[in-house]
Amino acid sequence: MALTATDCVLLSDDERSTIEDYEGGVPRWCTGCGDNAILTSLQRLCRDEQLPQEKVVFVSGIGCSGRFPHYMNTYGFHGLHGRALPVAEGIKIRRPDLHVFVNTGDGDCCSIGTAHWIHALRYNMDMTVVMHDNRTYGLTKHQASPTSPLGLKSNTTPYGADLNPLDPLSVTLGVTNASFVAQAVDWIPELLHQIVSLAFHHKGFSFIRVLQRCPEYLPAFFDPWVQDPARVLLLSHQDGIQPAPSLSRTYRNQEEHDPLDLLRAKDIAAGADAIPVGILYRNPEIPRYEELRKPDRLYTPDAIAKGFEAELDRFTIWPEQEEKEHAAT
Amino acid sequence: MLLPELVRFHLTGEPPTDTEPAPPGLRPAVLASLQDLSTLRYDFPLLLTENGDSLTLSLSELFDDILREVAPPGPSGERIRRHLLGLELRIRRAVSGGEVGLLSQMWEAAAKGLLAETNADEAALVQASLAKAEAARLVDGRAVDCDDRLASDFLEHIWTAVGKRQRLVVRQEIAELTLRLSNILQADYSRSQAGLAPERLAGSVGVSHRREFDFEAWSRMVTGTPSGAVGPDRRRRLESILSILENQRFIPGGKATPYSFRFDRATAAATAFRQRVPEMLELIKAMTIARLEIENRYREPKHDEFFAAFDETSPTAQDLAAFPSYLVTMQAEDVVGTEQAQLVDILSSSLPIKVLVESDDILGESPIGDVRWSPGVGGGRLGNLAIGLGEAFTMQSASSNLPRMEETVVAGLSHQGPALFSVFGGSKKHVRDLPRYLTAASAMRSRAFPAFTYDPGAGDDWAARFRVDGNPAADDDWPVEALTYEDDNLQRITEEVRFTFVDFAACDSRYADHFVPVPRSSWNDQMEPAWRFLNGEAPPGKVPYILMATADNLLQRLVVDRELIEAARRCRRQWNSLQELGGIHNSHARRLLEQARARWEEETARELKEVTAGSAAAAVIVEERPVEELETPPAVEEAAVVELPEEAPPADEPYIETARCTTCDECTTLNSRMFAYDENKQAIIADLGAGSYRQMVEAAEACQVAIIHPGKPWNPSEPGLEELVERAAAFN
Repeated sequence: MALTATDCVLLSDDERSTIEDYEGGVPRWCTGCGDNAILTSLQRLCRDEQLPQEKVVFVSGIGCSGRFPHYMNTYGFHGLHGRALPVAEGIKIRRPDLHVFVNTGDGDCCSIGTAHWIHALRYNMDMTVVMHDNRTYGLTKHQASPTSPLGLKSNTTPYGADLNPLDPLSVTLGVTNASFVAQAVDWIPELLHQIVSLAFHHKGFSFIRVLQRCPEYLPAFFDPWVQDPARVLLLSHQDGIQPAPSLSRTYRNQEEHDPLDLLRAKDIAAGADAIPVGILYRNPEIPRYEELRKPDRLYTPDAIAKGFEAELDRFTIWPEQEEKEHAAT
Repeated sequence: MLLPELVRFHLTGEPPTDTEPAPPGLRPAVLASLQDLSTLRYDFPLLLTENGDSLTLSLSELFDDILREVAPPGPSGERIRRHLLGLELRIRRAVSGGEVGLLSQMWEAAAKGLLAETNADEAALVQASLAKAEAARLVDGRAVDCDDRLASDFLEHIWTAVGKRQRLVVRQEIAELTLRLSNILQADYSRSQAGLAPERLAGSVGVSHRREFDFEAWSRMVTGTPSGAVGPDRRRRLESILSILENQRFIPGGKATPYSFRFDRATAAATAFRQRVPEMLELIKAMTIARLEIENRYREPKHDEFFAAFDETSPTAQDLAAFPSYLVTMQAEDVVGTEQAQLVDILSSSLPIKVLVESDDILGESPIGDVRWSPGVGGGRLGNLAIGLGEAFTMQSASSNLPRMEETVVAGLSHQGPALFSVFGGSKKHVRDLPRYLTAASAMRSRAFPAFTYDPGAGDDWAARFRVDGNPAADDDWPVEALTYEDDNLQRITEEVRFTFVDFAACDSRYADHFVPVPRSSWNDQMEPAWRFLNGEAPPGKVPYILMATADNLLQRLVVDRELIEAARRCRRQWNSLQELGGIHNSHARRLLEQARARWEEETARELKEVTAGSAAAAVIVEERPVEELETPPAVEEAAVVELPEEAPPADEPYIETARCTTCDECTTLNSRMFAYDENKQAIIADLGAGSYRQMVEAAEACQVAIIHPGKPWNPSEPGLEELVERAAAFN
């Protein structure tokens, strides 16, 4: 690794942030909520990577996941429903030095925010996106979301949901320029943390769907998978997750999956039985929008003022004489 | 001319009494057909491109690209091809005639000339072909021939391009650091009392609405610190590094005139480097502090001390790589005395100084004597010396080969330490009858000046660092050439010859005394081609000769004296050493291979012997073994998971599988003293005494992922234990 003197100074710095340094307000999620596992994992990531708090921004939309920025002691933006991604893109393109995280939910991302989701994938800007998928609208007390299973009874589907659920993994894998697609479950925190870490280090748009339990409105929904490890398929690979031996004793259903194998990733995503956990797809070669649009010059205040003046001059109505002089100059 | 006289000449160098002077215009027979290079499509002229994908491009490659685009197969395409090849020929002739300049200018002149010589009927078609070609020509740049300026022009062109890319990155970083440091001071000013003064607030509001505001009141309402939040020490530091960044002279774009990094003496470059070191350190220090300041990571108690002691040992290789390299262009004859000593010092150091040494003459007399004592040592010795120094990038090549060396030159110029580029350009003074291109190419073919590259950054061993594969037929002592001529009966004869050091020396007028031309009437079977003679294939009593062509293309044999044959053998030994370093016919590898083969043969023979001796006994044993043992054992099923010994859980004590905790707060809500989170915010049993067995069992029941194992009760007096133990059984 090529180090500058600056790197040497920083590496010899003995100031270390602890996990408490990244803790914001006390979470107001329900006790037992899977969101807590995601929060802990991201706080651990910030601590492990020693990210300066002022260099981190969490952006969210609306829903239980929307409260995420309140619980991080970093910059945050609690935005409009479904609009977390365009806000995050705006931040990234103007401040590429910031580490941008997005927390969105199954309703926020897959319903009202779907258009932004699809195009954010295509833009492939460098950010880590965690979709909290509890398969219901929890904040508004249980309405069917796009990922609610067929037949789910809720306040909006009292006779059971009529439609098959949307599969966020298959959708994501089908979008042009998708560069990192992973799935985690809140009840295996070790792998959730590995996946979050891999996503953070991926240069591009890292999309993680986290299946999380809602103890309030779907308390037993994930029990068949939580209680039967054989119904979870771990996708291990040297370029993906590597379960510890102690975890492998419990989760024996594993597959060696190369994250560059898109076709197999699509097959795995479409599989109906076991829940896949791991990196389905990762391709670091896909260009990033913020790199493609990187300005080739520095926008100093003078340069901005000059450009601004020049633009306004195009619309200025010059008095006849002045116009001649202006044209002459 | 009798054979004994030729033998005497070969052995003693005393020419026969009836020796005629060699006819003028003699040149090696294999090069006889290459007299007018301007009629050939080859590597020259070379374009030093300004806007292409690669940094250099031959004129032929450019026209091939254009023809692929504008000349489709068929009659119309053929017509365009004819017109454009005519244009190319004109440009080629202009360059070989000594014209210098941009391709676009030569193109225009050649196009005018072509049109002027075209008859009126075809003028419109030629005009159309030229217009298409002009539209398809996307590159421009200087067109250079293989002449005495080639090496320095070529290297300077690539050095400028490589440096430009590198400088652009550093320049952008300096500009960005300057801007962001200025922003800190600007933001501080905006928050200060001066920045919030009424007149300044008025300036932040448009003229049209200025009357609507009371700026005095506004200023009173917003409070600023007297001099902003930036303390005096920090301000002084920021202003100091801003001044250094703005006035630096290493990267163009600052306020001061930038330094020159182009030199014609090694001593001058080394002196300039040394003089600029303090300023360079100041700039590196300023950039380092600036990065820390921008990240808000500068801590005065700690970093003040560090930067006060910042010296030559502080910058890393990465910091130094940001600075331009120094380019020195020298003639080989100037590398003597102090310059030679300085060059050796540079090549032994880690200074970013790149030195081009151009040799025109590699067969000239050395200070220690003539060919008898130092044949062919002229230009090649510098390259050999440099690779011995270990850490200097070294490239040796003839100028004719430079078009193929672009990537190597880029690697050398990008190398962080010193680099030597030793180039032989051919001498017109002593080799009058060959163009420079052919003289240079002959030096490489004859191994008098072989090409090689030594790149210390390419790897840790010689296999990675050293290459000789750019030479023609690098596996052979000398490359094989096909010589075709007509015999006395006008029959076409093709024979295989090799172009050796002797053939190369024969082109040099100073070596005329080592040859005796033999009239056709005296040719006889005792004369043997010199290359065969050198290979040791010639029977004793024969005399070596080479074939040359006269100005009117008649073959001429020249007998060679023993002295030059010895020089050629020495040249071959030097080439063989380079081959070995490059992994060709490496004696160490061969020896190891022979040893390994001998071992393998010995072992194979032994095993065969054992098998033969024991086959009868083995047959008996097979019969005695149970059938099931002889069958192939069942294949082990591919295990998805490595079987690991189970960890024994604590017998009666309660425990939590902490690594599986999802931080759901169930247990900590139940009893925050009994259960707590560890440094990863995952649950642990903090204090067993702070709670009851009942709470432990309830926590186990509430846990979403069932990772709490209550164990056995620890307080026998706790009520209802029997029922609790029963409930706990599901989690133990």
